[in-house]
Amino acid sequence: MTKKIFRSMVITAGAVLLASLIIIMGCLYEYFCGVQEQQLKDELSLAAAAVEQGGADYLASLQSDRYRLTWVSADGTVLYDTQADAAAMENHAQRQEIRQALLAGQGESSRYSATLLEKTLYCARRLDDGTVLRISISRATAGVLVLGMLQPFLIVLVVALVLSALLARRLARHIVEPLNQLDLEHPMDNDTYEELSPLLGRINQQRRQIDAQMQELQRKRDEFDQITGNMREGLVLLNEKGVILSINPAARTLFRTGSACVGQDFLTIERSSDVSHALQTAMEQGHSEIHTEREGREYQMDMSRIESEGAVTGAVILAFDVTEQALAQRNRREFTANVSHELKTPLQSIMGSAELMENGLVKPEDMPVFIGRIRSEAARLVTLIEDIIRLSQLDEGVEMPVECVELYALAQETAQSLSDAAEAKSISLTVTGQPVTVHSVRRLLSEILYNLCDNAIKYNVPGGRVSVDVAGTAEGAAITVSDTGIGIPAEHQARVFERFYRVDKSHSRASGGTGLGLSIVKHAVQDLGGTIRLDSTPGQGTSIRVTIPEKENE
Amino acid sequence: MRSRFDEQLALLNRELIEMGALCEEVIAAAAKALMEGDTALAAQIAPRAGEIDRQERDIESLCLKLLLQQQPVARDLRQISAALKMITDMERIGDQAEDIAEIIGFLQGRSGEECAFVGHMARSAISMVTGSVDAYVRRDTALAREVIARDDVVDEDFRKVKATLIDWIARRPDDGEYALDLLMIAKYFERIGDHATNIAEWVVFAVTGVHNGEELT
Repeated sequence: MTKKIFRSMVITAGAVLLASLIIIMGCLYEYFCGVQEQQLKDELSLAAAAVEQGGADYLASLQSDRYRLTWVSADGTVLYDTQADAAAMENHAQRQEIRQALLAGQGESSRYSATLLEKTLYCARRLDDGTVLRISISRATAGVLVLGMLQPFLIVLVVALVLSALLARRLARHIVEPLNQLDLEHPMDNDTYEELSPLLGRINQQRRQIDAQMQELQRKRDEFDQITGNMREGLVLLNEKGVILSINPAARTLFRTGSACVGQDFLTIERSSDVSHALQTAMEQGHSEIHTEREGREYQMDMSRIESEGAVTGAVILAFDVTEQALAQRNRREFTANVSHELKTPLQSIMGSAELMENGLVKPEDMPVFIGRIRSEAARLVTLIEDIIRLSQLDEGVEMPVECVELYALAQETAQSLSDAAEAKSISLTVTGQPVTVHSVRRLLSEILYNLCDNAIKYNVPGGRVSVDVAGTAEGAAITVSDTGIGIPAEHQARVFERFYRVDKSHSRASGGTGLGLSIVKHAVQDLGGTIRLDSTPGQGTSIRVTIPEKENE
Repeated sequence: MRSRFDEQLALLNRELIEMGALCEEVIAAAAKALMEGDTALAAQIAPRAGEIDRQERDIESLCLKLLLQQQPVARDLRQISAALKMITDMERIGDQAEDIAEIIGFLQGRSGEECAFVGHMARSAISMVTGSVDAYVRRDTALAREVIARDDVVDEDFRKVKATLIDWIARRPDDGEYALDLLMIAKYFERIGDHATNIAEWVVFAVTGVHNGEELT
């Protein structure tokens, strides 16, 4: 813009200068020509008067370089010429000015010299005696004049151009400066040319629109990031070429990558052929699913094609941790297998005894032994089924009434009910501590106490001790059941809470345990939101401490 | 024109990663089959090695097409020529995994666990292949150099395996065939380590233009 303004100003200045020079030159030239012609005529009348009086002598006495006087007789013969030999000159009768003078008394004409550099003006007058006196003067043509003026003219032109260039530049800058300093961030705050207001208004409006759209976009993106950021599932969005468009933090952790992978091929973060194939299947068929294992955890990846107006625009990969489900499934399968096995063993024993009796292979005196065995095995089955029912009730998560329970009294009740079993192994069962009231589920607490004490008696040595201690602590009520039994070796301590897990498989039948007791305790404690701590030394005894917090009333 | 070239380069990159992934998988499968004496798994390796061969031909023809049609220079040329070299090494890795699988067939269900260092060696070789492919994927020259350095570990393992097997033959001359088979397998793992080293060197070249400390471009 500055350039354009500058250029047009300079061109204008040059053109004006040139035009005015030409016009002025033209006018002046005309003026001087007129003056000269007039002078020529005056000189001629003076000379004519002198020639009429003095004749050729006057002409001869005339000393003038500028004027040339020619005296011509009426037939055109040159009588005298101030600048040439008259005798050598041709007849002048046919010259235009002479002819005019002979006819009308006055005549004039002008002729260019051979080189066109000069123009000669002629003026003729018939004298009284019929001869003609002619005066002539040479003058430079307009072109020569212009040529002569070229140098000063050029100097003026250069000076004028330089001056106008300087001025134009300043002016152009001056005009453009406010434009350059326009604050487009705040278009309406500008105090500049009035002509710009509509433009600025428009810019302002568009700016506001863009701002609003940007905010909307940002808001949506934040929303999306917020949602995907807090998802536990991994989410990856790919475009149709498999380039990552978006990846949430969970997926980044899963694929062990950073946010820099956005814009790169999905292959760069996960290249196993199973996943690649699944992705290809999803792209072709719309959906696929795959299970993979990473760092000991099992993940399921669901891949779906994204379509928009019939064209594939990308794919979405949703990965979630299914370790728990897989584990639960495995546990369920194991549990079913264990239950079947545990149920089958006493039944086979019952069937065996019954078959022997049926076939009459049992002597009458041995009958009570066999019947006793059938009864005890049946009793074992009942205990087992009861335990399974309890566990499945806990699994079901049936809502149980929450009430105030006095733990010390409950422990004493439990000890009372187990006193027969304790006496049978001559084990002393004592309850110590102080009354603690806890807001909790009575049935579950009773299960915990019963199973812990039952285990402590079962896995004890004859003449051993079992002590139950009830205490109130900051975390809630604490029940500690300690025994002087056989203890649990360290390598088994983590697994004793598993269903049907037994430390010593060969002794389990003798002790009469089902392998479900501690599992029930664990489940019940979990339901009550408590914790279990197990301390055990093989051969010296076991101490299990259960902490039960106040259960809140919902 | 340029965008089509970029697209083809991206395709080359993708195919190369896929081929690398396949190599990782076959060698991992070979190692697993060896350690568990799983001949059924070993039998599955040959078809996958065949897939690697097919992929090598595909990538090779893609590279040649790019070289002829696009006449790449500088960085692009480096990437394509490095790819041409890398696929040769990857193909060799696939072949060697196939060879290992063949020998596992001769072991008649016996696993490689009987010789302690073979397992360690297999794991080192796998980690080298994975590392070299990772280095390519991330254009990570530091990782590539680490892979190159790790080759010494595999070589050292091979030396230990050899010593153990010599001892084995001395103690149980009747079981010499097993020892020799294991020695062959160990040698193949050692070769796989060398190929992984080569791949890593070409990764360094593709990124920096320097191969084995020598400016090639």
